[in-house]
Amino acid sequence: MKKIEISRRKFLQGSVALCVYATSSPATIIPKKTTKTTITEATNIPYLCNMCRNKCAGFARVEDGVVTKLNPNQYFPKSRNMLCPKGNAGIDAIYDKDRLKYPLIRIGKRGDGKYKRVTWDEANEHIKDKLVKIFNEQKDNRSTLAYCNGEGFNKNEYIKFFGGKIGSANFLDEGSICLNTKLGATILTIGDIGEPDIAGSDFVIMAGANRYESLITPDSIDMIKADKQKLVVIEPRCTVTAIKADEWLAINPGTDLALCLAMIYITLKDELYNKEYVKKQFDDFDKLKEHILKNNYTSTWAESKTNIPAKKIEKLTKDFFTASRPLFYLGRRSVWAKNDFQFRRAMVLINALAGSINTKGGIIFGKPLKLPNEEINQPFYSNAQGRFDLDGIVYGSSKAGSWLNFREKLLNGSAPYPVKAMFIRKHNLMQNMPNIKKTKKMLEMMDLIVVLDTMPSDTAMMADVILPECTYLEREDMVVSFNRLEPSLALRNQVLKPLYESKSMQDILKGLGQKLTIPLFELSMKHDEELQESIEEMGKLEAFEDGGYNLSELYKQDISTRNKILISKTFGEKAYTSLKEKGVWYPNMEKYHKEVFNNSYVYYPEDRKFYTVNKKYRVKCHIDKLNKHGYDAMPTWRDSYDFKVPDKSFRLITGRYVMFTQSATANNIMLRDIMKTNHIWINNTVAKNLNIIEGDRVEVKSNIGKVEILAYPTNKIAPSVVFFSHGFGSNSDELEQAFGNGANDNQLIEDKMENIYGCAVMNETDVQIRKIRT
Amino acid sequence: MARYGMALDYKNCINCKACETACKEENGILMGADKHRIWVGTGEIEGEYPLLDLTSNVFHPSQCQHCDDAPCEEVCPTQATYTDENGIVRVNIDQCILCSYCMNACPYDARYVDDRTMTVDKCNFCAETRLARGETTTACQATCPTKVRIFGDLDDPNSEISEVLRTREHYSLKAHLGTKPKLFYLT
Repeated sequence: MKKIEISRRKFLQGSVALCVYATSSPATIIPKKTTKTTITEATNIPYLCNMCRNKCAGFARVEDGVVTKLNPNQYFPKSRNMLCPKGNAGIDAIYDKDRLKYPLIRIGKRGDGKYKRVTWDEANEHIKDKLVKIFNEQKDNRSTLAYCNGEGFNKNEYIKFFGGKIGSANFLDEGSICLNTKLGATILTIGDIGEPDIAGSDFVIMAGANRYESLITPDSIDMIKADKQKLVVIEPRCTVTAIKADEWLAINPGTDLALCLAMIYITLKDELYNKEYVKKQFDDFDKLKEHILKNNYTSTWAESKTNIPAKKIEKLTKDFFTASRPLFYLGRRSVWAKNDFQFRRAMVLINALAGSINTKGGIIFGKPLKLPNEEINQPFYSNAQGRFDLDGIVYGSSKAGSWLNFREKLLNGSAPYPVKAMFIRKHNLMQNMPNIKKTKKMLEMMDLIVVLDTMPSDTAMMADVILPECTYLEREDMVVSFNRLEPSLALRNQVLKPLYESKSMQDILKGLGQKLTIPLFELSMKHDEELQESIEEMGKLEAFEDGGYNLSELYKQDISTRNKILISKTFGEKAYTSLKEKGVWYPNMEKYHKEVFNNSYVYYPEDRKFYTVNKKYRVKCHIDKLNKHGYDAMPTWRDSYDFKVPDKSFRLITGRYVMFTQSATANNIMLRDIMKTNHIWINNTVAKNLNIIEGDRVEVKSNIGKVEILAYPTNKIAPSVVFFSHGFGSNSDELEQAFGNGANDNQLIEDKMENIYGCAVMNETDVQIRKIRT
Repeated sequence: MARYGMALDYKNCINCKACETACKEENGILMGADKHRIWVGTGEIEGEYPLLDLTSNVFHPSQCQHCDDAPCEEVCPTQATYTDENGIVRVNIDQCILCSYCMNACPYDARYVDDRTMTVDKCNFCAETRLARGETTTACQATCPTKVRIFGDLDDPNSEISEVLRTREHYSLKAHLGTKPKLFYLT
């Protein structure tokens, strides 16, 4: 047996794979306990975590009004009774001394961080004055205000206010810098986004998705629990997921599509596919077959693109198609390459060819619990113009937009009207999308920037008005429905009252709505001819009420009351009680929920899981609309997709560690304690030639910027590729832990966009590296 | 009265460090990478890209092994280190004089200095926090995403840990030293 290093001293000297360096710096949080522990009366309140986009459930232990511990919630089918390091560190998000505490108005130049503390009313008054001026100048074109949101929860509430009530068409969220191609490709190919049943599969291919570092529940947990499952990871670098896999196939960045095409070729040629399923569900199968075979996507061809040996591709394909319940995991991850949409589509088609749709171990449709929509009375603004960020995009999503296209159109003046105001909620634009210089320029074009956040992020430092939102532990949110195979409802209960002067988003919008209702209505009276007509017809008061111009109407009742009514009415009193006491409810939960072994639970009996449902759908091989727009109707390889890196350059790829998935946690002291900073991975042989050793400071330069970062030479990455993780390199000096720590990938990543969904492409930037002499 | 021990299904560890953070939050441990009651050891993976030996990189959670014959207890001149009625090796901070004999004696490097009290600290299976509240899990065990840790009473034949030690092969660290650890690594 190989000797395993277990010593503490050795561990501290250990590698930056751990990214922990011994530190002599004293703790900066107040130790919660002194030498002797006294046990005080505690209450345990169920809540939902918000430290990343995945949602897990927990119980917060509160003693004397202080949250002293966050524990996992055993009732939630999705998160399977666990909390990751970020979830545990949620306490340090509430008690972060750098938190935004009061409303602030900018007094210095934009970006220099000079603000004065104001009251909520002063902040709202300031926003009102600027907004009235902007809307007046733009003749009540409400879309001259853009609004964006980076938090999964409350997104719909936020859209209802700014889209529904204020009337702007310009909504953007993280979809176009995240996974929209995957969602789109799945919907367009099989009519639904589905859900992977990883627990039920005996053979999983995971391409790119890094499920043991970028945790998605229950997938990450179910994978490790599935003892008899074979896992093959396709990835340019050896991630923890690759280390834990049965096999890791190192692939050239951006060439996964070539692998998929070869898999389809072999399947069709050797007739390995599920013929019965194909006959029953496929549209245009013959077109696909002809296209793939004609193009000769052989394993040898794919080897030349992917660098995966042809024999391995053949074996992988055979193993996949002869497994009982194979799954090509569709993942949840950023868009890596320009061909991303076609890559995702090819993955869906491979699952379909294997018959792994709407069945155990495949992509299931399941049966999510349906929550009713709370209707609002939406005013109609006749001068409000439509969105422009999806112009030139084949599909796009109006619930996410396209950040890069939006930004580009504003910067190059091709937008049909100016955007002058921006409301930014928990969306760190100055860190989260490629080419930050351009984002800065776009923000500088605004007359009003309002940021709603918990932390003084780089983006908050660009705001005219900063509104402190409370953290997820200080508010109740509207109930949410989760999952399809083992569906449940979960409720984020309020654990603490908002600290300082922070408020929940609903309370912020309520105050803002009250302030804006009359002035904005008067503005519409001035510019909106249709409103003028209605007033003539029915009088001012009725036109106002009938038209839904009361902006804070949605918040007449608080969230708690709204939840009580909505849940009790739809699912009964018992469901509501369960959500308040246990944080979770699903039909027959009391009967189904059982501990099996060592804090592991079953949530549904095997025969009650929704593996297969009665649903009409077709598998679409050929999409005509793509052809009409000049794109490939079926997955196709183009020469421009080839992986090529110029001499003395490296392809920069980005990704995540489990301790830091988003920049929002960059200032968290507990997470900094387990991972001090990010490092650039450089192939060990290459590093040796460049005379770079571990911990050396290097300059990394791309066509659009340069950063400095510490080096980590490793055998886990190809000679032509370098990697560093997202979420570091904050520029806001209000963040004591995060400021100047590590490097921000988006200062280097060039703004390249794929045109099917308008998504930013993250892994197509080449960089040069130079050791900095010290 | 119990005899507490822990079994670790360590091959399921993904080195996410949820256990380390949960331990620090629960037990109020100081910040700093040298202030850890528990940790995950790791080594570099062997081979050259792309031919890497995936089995060469094993994440290995470690901590105080709660030895039945604890060398730290033997060398302590003030009896600050003691085994409590539940078989947990603990430190009485009122008696600790920070002579650091125990730190040198521990073959597992499980002890560190708490700068607030200037005494030696180590894992105590959450005895002062969770067990004192009547809970039956340790913080590291409860939070673990992949449920690596099984904590329980070794003297209770019906406990999960007893069951797993009966049915699965396991080993102890540095067994040749005769310290009789109560941490068991499942193979």
